[in-house]
Amino acid sequence: MVKRLLKEPLVHFFLIALAIFAMHGVVGDKSVPAPDVIVVTASKIEQMGSVFTKTWQRPPTGRELKGLIDDHVREEILVREALALGLDKDDTVIRRRLRQKMEFLVIDEADAPVPTDAELNVYLNAHPGAFETDPMLAFQQVFLNPERQGDAIARNAASTLEALATVPSTDPASLGDVTQLPPVVELTGKTAIAQMFGGEFAEALDKASVGQWIGPVASGFGLHLVRVTERKPGRLPALGDVRAAVMREWANDRRVALEDRRFAELLKRYDVTIENLAVAGIVP
Amino acid sequence: MVEISTIRVLLTAVACSCLGLPALAVDARSDVGTLDQAKAEKVFPGKRPYSPYADRSFPTRPLFGDTHLHTAASFDAGAFGARLTPRDAYRFARGEQIIASGGEPARLSRPLDFLVVADHSDNMGMFPDLFAGKAEVLSDPQAKTWYDMIKSGRGGEAALQIIMSFSAGTLPKSMIYGPETRPYKSAWQDTVKAAEEYNDPGRFTALIGYEWTSNTGGNNLHRNVILRDNGDKAEQIVPYTTMKPLGSDNPRDLWKWMQAYEDKTGGSVLAIAHNGNLSNGIMFPMIESFTGKPVDKEYVEERARWERLYEATQTKGDGETHPRLSPNDEFADFETWDFGNLDASVAKKPEMIEFEYARSALRNGLKLEAELGTNPYKFGMIGSSDAHTGLAAMEEDNFFGKTTPQEPSPERLTATFVSNPQTNIKVMDWQVSASGYAAVWAADNTREAIWDAMQRKETYATTGSRMMVRFFGGFDFEPADASNRNPGAIGYGKGVPMGGDLGPAPENKAPSFLVAALKDPIGANLDRYQIVKGWLDDKGETHEQVYNVVWGGDRKPDADGKLPSVGSTVDVGNATWTNTIGAPELIAVWTDPDFDPMQKAFYYGRVIEIPTPRWTAYDAKRFGTKPLEGTTMTMTERAYTSPIWYTP
Repeated sequence: MVKRLLKEPLVHFFLIALAIFAMHGVVGDKSVPAPDVIVVTASKIEQMGSVFTKTWQRPPTGRELKGLIDDHVREEILVREALALGLDKDDTVIRRRLRQKMEFLVIDEADAPVPTDAELNVYLNAHPGAFETDPMLAFQQVFLNPERQGDAIARNAASTLEALATVPSTDPASLGDVTQLPPVVELTGKTAIAQMFGGEFAEALDKASVGQWIGPVASGFGLHLVRVTERKPGRLPALGDVRAAVMREWANDRRVALEDRRFAELLKRYDVTIENLAVAGIVP
Repeated sequence: MVEISTIRVLLTAVACSCLGLPALAVDARSDVGTLDQAKAEKVFPGKRPYSPYADRSFPTRPLFGDTHLHTAASFDAGAFGARLTPRDAYRFARGEQIIASGGEPARLSRPLDFLVVADHSDNMGMFPDLFAGKAEVLSDPQAKTWYDMIKSGRGGEAALQIIMSFSAGTLPKSMIYGPETRPYKSAWQDTVKAAEEYNDPGRFTALIGYEWTSNTGGNNLHRNVILRDNGDKAEQIVPYTTMKPLGSDNPRDLWKWMQAYEDKTGGSVLAIAHNGNLSNGIMFPMIESFTGKPVDKEYVEERARWERLYEATQTKGDGETHPRLSPNDEFADFETWDFGNLDASVAKKPEMIEFEYARSALRNGLKLEAELGTNPYKFGMIGSSDAHTGLAAMEEDNFFGKTTPQEPSPERLTATFVSNPQTNIKVMDWQVSASGYAAVWAADNTREAIWDAMQRKETYATTGSRMMVRFFGGFDFEPADASNRNPGAIGYGKGVPMGGDLGPAPENKAPSFLVAALKDPIGANLDRYQIVKGWLDDKGETHEQVYNVVWGGDRKPDADGKLPSVGSTVDVGNATWTNTIGAPELIAVWTDPDFDPMQKAFYYGRVIEIPTPRWTAYDAKRFGTKPLEGTTMTMTERAYTSPIWYTP
């Protein structure tokens, strides 16, 4: 529909453009032979017209369109002259602008498409690690402080474990050393457990079977006897629950991959030699 | 103020009733009076649940984060070669491996819980445009010169010139992105959008904020501005700048902007100042530098209202105290940066120091409160990085520097960071501190919960270690409370947490404190837990005293209370240490032995780790570089809690 609306005034543009060009042809200086041809194509005029429409929320008048076309012709001529003089060579600004344009090209491409649910589902299933919910664990722990236990720590750990395992009525709170580490941890994500007890402790806990006192498990604090009371394994959520995150990761991956692929293709066309690595202080 | 105090009373009451601990026998005191047991039970009826952990509403572990991280969108970070965007910064903070701007793969030992990308508001987004060689920017010959310098690999030099030119107010017009311009708005919108994308309540919080960089004459009055709100409110405004006429370098104008933000959006905002050590005597004024007059009622009220926290430690030096201010404090000289102001254009004079450090400001705050009725320097403490790399990597063995040229390389042990031939001031890269992080006692990992904990100052600063530190004050703690297995429950039940208020004291009672610290689960043991007290005497003079409260190992303090050193296990050559000294955790109850119920006072906790290798030792070992003479190679990580104030 938008296209149709746009097209109507464009019909006028073409007509006006043709008229202008006819005038150029009639009025233009004919004594100098045309060194080059500049054709302002209908699609170029259409593009200029639609950019104007987008900016000003209305189509350009005939006068305005003539101004746009004249300016385009002027720019085209000056750019060709500049290129002929080699002004683009060795200009850092232009080189960087070109590089940036190439990189933007890739980013634009990456931004452009909106993935379908099917695509996102494929991505979600291919990267379960990135989206899986944290395993949840509930546990009890009895702590043995190396500072207080000294050399007896291993022996005491063994006897405490035996007491816990053989006498189920033993109150764990009556055993071990006083500590600020919580004796009972309700269902908590493994990552949060790792933040508090350290990563290795959380790993060991995740491998323990539910209901049994095990140990000693070492942490940065000392030794622990632990009993996992409940475990909820991590699960891959449905796309609906994590759509925004999947979309974000999908787009990020796509951008990185496109940039790399694009550059790899370009690199193939070049034979790169880098001299004097030693002078730059880099050991290859 | 009244509103905040009410919230505190409610919180304390909730803690009491929900826990149903013997704590109900204790009244919850606050600065709006006393909530006694009968009243509390009326408001929060309910019997004690069987499970001591049921309904537990207080946090069991602090959340760690960085409230002050710059990315390429900060004009000086960009100039120094940072290429990482806010999105990269969030990815890194939540634990992913990314490639640093310098090309090195980087990853944290474990994720952080939250992050504030706080890019400089002035010229936000300008540098990416300068780097991209936007014609509009390069239209100025000076801009073009800098652009060419950056392109020819002299970016660091260009960056320093740009920052100095910004400090001097001589930045070319084409490089000034005012808050009214389109590119500035775009940069802010992108910052907000990135935070929205990565904010993941319950797991990782991306708070929205920016840095207001008042730097007239090179004197650092910087503040980080942190919103409680989501993107819908953040997008209604653009960050406040310092350049006139739309901005201002006067904090009073920032506070007005903050008020306007709240009025316009219905949101909430707080500010955190940093690097008083580079302000040359104007960060915590008694005489305002802008007027030359003593600070007035409006100043103290507004400052107390908006500036709830102070960033007491970061890469550009530690800000707790200075050896000149605290000559009897053997730990006072820690990562000290006292050469001059931020651009090293004016050297430090001894009389400036009193108005630059947290502890002396807390003391002067008591004076001002006695005079004007409000304590402007009643702030809590956090640490943060101020890294300009997009990388909140502040561990000694995993330090990615303050700026991109300081990312790990064989050169950084010997390179120069700041050099000003006019003043003869030179700061070396090795002096940059791998510090710090902000620890926040928030019950949930969300924008709202973290911001609210900051607002009530339930926070502490660490120099990069993730030790867990508790600090409660009350009048009823007993030695037995230190052998309880749940200091959180006892602490909230019988007292107020860090950042809280006490007073007036019941007859014949002195404040008692429950202090507890657990070492970083993968870090070094703890040497000691100290309480720093400051007070105002009846002659109007302030004093300070550091008390050793609890320590690791079998050591006896001497008659003056001085504790023998914990020793050191550091092998500098191999950059290793062992946890064979110190203690994995410390807990004690301490009662002020020198209490005078008529004197205003503050108390805060300081926890010191055993000595460990400094980042310089890891660099010397890994790169085989010989450090310059005088390079500090070991250090003791530490934490500073927010104070608890006693008001008669």
